[in-house]
Amino acid sequence: MIFDDDLVLCECDLEPLKSFVEDLEKQHSVEVIQEPGICLTMIKAEDSLEHQQFFLGEALTTECEVSVDGTAGVGLCLGEEPVRGYCIAVIDGVNRLRGETPENVSEFIQSQRVVLEEREAKEQALVKKTRVDFKLMEQD
Amino acid sequence: MGYVAIKGGEDAISNAEILVDYYRVKDATDPIEIDQIRTQFRLLVDKIMGEGSIYAPEHAAIALKQVEGDVFESAFILRAFRATLRRNYYSEVIDTDNMVVERRISSAFREIPDGQILGPTRDYTQRLLHPNLAEETFGSIEKFLEDFEAGAILENGNEIPKYSRVVDLLRKEGILRAVEDNESGRLVDITREAVKFPAPRSAALQMLARSETGGLMCLAYSAQRGFGSAHATVGEMRVGKVKIAVKDSKGRTRSIGRIKVTEAEMLSRIHVPHKDKVPYLSLGYGLCFGQNETKAISMGILDRTMRSDGDAPSEAQEFVLYHTEGVESYGFTNHLKLPHYVTFQSGLNNLRQAMDRRKKEMDKWRVGNMTRDDFKKK
Repeated sequence: MIFDDDLVLCECDLEPLKSFVEDLEKQHSVEVIQEPGICLTMIKAEDSLEHQQFFLGEALTTECEVSVDGTAGVGLCLGEEPVRGYCIAVIDGVNRLRGETPENVSEFIQSQRVVLEEREAKEQALVKKTRVDFKLMEQD
Repeated sequence: MGYVAIKGGEDAISNAEILVDYYRVKDATDPIEIDQIRTQFRLLVDKIMGEGSIYAPEHAAIALKQVEGDVFESAFILRAFRATLRRNYYSEVIDTDNMVVERRISSAFREIPDGQILGPTRDYTQRLLHPNLAEETFGSIEKFLEDFEAGAILENGNEIPKYSRVVDLLRKEGILRAVEDNESGRLVDITREAVKFPAPRSAALQMLARSETGGLMCLAYSAQRGFGSAHATVGEMRVGKVKIAVKDSKGRTRSIGRIKVTEAEMLSRIHVPHKDKVPYLSLGYGLCFGQNETKAISMGILDRTMRSDGDAPSEAQEFVLYHTEGVESYGFTNHLKLPHYVTFQSGLNNLRQAMDRRKKEMDKWRVGNMTRDDFKKK
């Protein structure tokens, strides 16, 4: 599966995510421990034959930490996305409250996963139209 | 050479800074939106992120706008921006096997497992100017998108295809092998540890990944033309998105998003010194941010040439890595415009003194109107 829960939250549209987290805020006491801020993630890669690891470069990352009913939640995503970083942290905190993802969170993530998968599949369908089968000159 | 600092000129310098901003907008055209640069100049943004060594499309677009499209300056600004930020995370090794591919081709094999996908490319198009783009409107863009996207046919639901590697075929056959050398496999971070030559391959790959595309292409091309031993073929080149995962502060592995990369696996033959040994193929590896095929291919060629024993420029690791470092070479070249008055005057004084010495020496030999040179000619 490409879109695990975290990736769904990193790539889904911001508006539905914001609105979902606003609902969560009404049900829980949320306190910001660390304001959303930017930092770097060094990306590790390796060559495909010898598996020599190396550092490809860094990626701009947003991090945020909140407390949800006294339980810490951590939000991380690529780019400078303070709102998304906060929302991911709140959802993480809610998930950690009882040690499992509540049904309403699962449902929200699943609904967004479907949107992302459809979007990706549509792009892949366009890409697939460029599949090529070159023939040699002497072939028919 | 020693340097002597200058002082003064503050007013002129700050006025020049404002003037260059004035030149950016003096024709009072509509301001370019950052999103327009990020999306419609995507290949330029990708290039700058690679050379700036930070994956941050929006910030790369801002840098481009700020410096009126100067690629070197934009990369420089991104490097400086990067230097202001703390590095809090290291990713897991990215998995290019599971890349969501938008383009993958092989020039070594016509038929490859799962097929060749040309993807978004201008490789097979005529390089003709499209003057009609001058008339492009938002309406015409919408129409194009609507028509083109209507052609998307979903055959297998929302399944995203996974592509096996072309070079795995050769590896299984035993033709493709790791280079047999004693190179250090130590993982080095060149942003934290000064590079010493010969540098471990990890340092070389990191430096190539952040080097300047044109410089890389120049040296890779020289190797292909005969100034070096490379006769590389694209085993496989793929462009697509890979997931980035890190350990968060609670020790859990979390996905934080995806980045686009270009990967090139360049095949070349390894000649073995002994007659009883069989030659084999090995791989030069190229990987960079975004869609930058010239860079990935050049990187793959140079990764291989730098591991060979020749004495061509492309085979000298220090030469390749230092001179393709865009921010350094751009910085040095452009520092030549800054005041060198004292150093130049000092050189000029030396020249004048040498001329004076020469004149005095010649005067010693002067007899009537005959000089020392006239005597020599006789």
